[in-house]
Amino acid sequence: MIKIITRYGQLLLAAMQQTVLLALCGLFFACILGIFFGILGVTKNKFCRAVNRVFVDCIRGVPMIVLAYFIYFGVPALVNSFTTGTKFTLSALQAGTICLALNCGAYMSEIIRAGIQSVDKGQMEAARSLGLPWWRSMYRVVMPQAIRTMIPSIINQFIITLKDTSILSIIGFPELVNTAKNVVANTFMTFETWAIVAVMYLVVIEILTVISRILERRLNRGRE
Amino acid sequence: MAENRNVKIHVSHLKKNFKKLEVLKDISTDIYEGEVVVVIGPSGSGKSTFLRCINNLEEITGGEITVDGMSLTDKKTDINKLRESIGMVFQHFNLFPHMDVMRNLTLAPVDLKKASKEEAAERARKMLVKVGMEEKADAFPNQLSGGQKQRVAIARALCMEPDIMLFDEPTSALDPEMVGEVLQVMKQLAADGMTMVIVTHEMGFAREVADRVLFMDGGYIVEEGTPQEVLLNPKEPRTIDFLNKVL
Repeated sequence: MIKIITRYGQLLLAAMQQTVLLALCGLFFACILGIFFGILGVTKNKFCRAVNRVFVDCIRGVPMIVLAYFIYFGVPALVNSFTTGTKFTLSALQAGTICLALNCGAYMSEIIRAGIQSVDKGQMEAARSLGLPWWRSMYRVVMPQAIRTMIPSIINQFIITLKDTSILSIIGFPELVNTAKNVVANTFMTFETWAIVAVMYLVVIEILTVISRILERRLNRGRE
Repeated sequence: MAENRNVKIHVSHLKKNFKKLEVLKDISTDIYEGEVVVVIGPSGSGKSTFLRCINNLEEITGGEITVDGMSLTDKKTDINKLRESIGMVFQHFNLFPHMDVMRNLTLAPVDLKKASKEEAAERARKMLVKVGMEEKADAFPNQLSGGQKQRVAIARALCMEPDIMLFDEPTSALDPEMVGEVLQVMKQLAADGMTMVIVTHEMGFAREVADRVLFMDGGYIVEEGTPQEVLLNPKEPRTIDFLNKVL
């Protein structure tokens, strides 16, 4: 155990950094996608709602490992079959970010849609009756109330996404699991390595959980 | 008495369907400036829907409504602009729970740039005095009683300086002892000359304050006239039947 920590501690910490980097990149775009598709899901327009449904159903219906292979290997292959000359490739970070953003974005859009719909529709009506346009009503009246109910689910989704980065070890991104595999291959110290990796995930996710509790308490304080 | 007044709301052959359900079948009436119209009728008769059509919270299926000469169905009509001049009070108050009373009142005027923050706050204070809620300016909605919430909701609508006020069963969700305080505020508004359309089950209030009573049933206006005519000497069997049940 000590040997792993002294010999490979630096390496594993760097890998953890990569994991967090990938998760942050993915989450950033996932939030954008989630808000966009979530709002599409609550509009009156049938076409917009259909776009939301297709997006969510397609992403949710495909395992993330398949999505990862598809984006990393499939999409460049398809593009290259149409073009000649310079080869189009995605780096593991790019493909991983897209993959996480799509996957997490689909779940986020469902959380956001449900959060908005959980707000009494009288709130939107009251705001509209005062003359506020739909967007302003959404922004000023509905969203602030929806976010309070969404926060726990969103944090939960963040944690899931952080753990899902481990799936992206299969496209060769040097995140924690991928790195740990190499350490095991070099040292054959299976138990020790994976125990350390597990604890590292645990610590990072515990930090996220604590932050989320503080955030939740803050938001609820304004509720009285 | 209405001949020399302006028509404020003109409704002709209004129809409203929810999917296949016909809620309003053929509604025509004119509401004049300064008039207080009380709409009564059994539940499911379409009276709330009628009210909600006037400010386009429900999109109408057929016929026409014009408010101040502007047609709701005309694509050129700015519905948001029109709504600024039509205040609405809901059965369940619909105050914004995440904002204090002051912010509830100033949100729309400030957001729509109808007034600066200071002007809006000043007007909000005036309106709170009018409804007797000036001491609760800093309270949040869940710290108020039902009657207080509804008075704040009325003040909120008044802050946009509407010239029409719609009331959708404003006292139906209140404990009995709080009904009076809300009706008192509404009486005051009527006395000030506000054009009002009120859906209510308060027959005493209708008798006292209404210029005209509409009795609706099954998606039609079955009978209309002064409170004397409709409430005391109803002619239609359905009106008589309804009044026998509620009085």
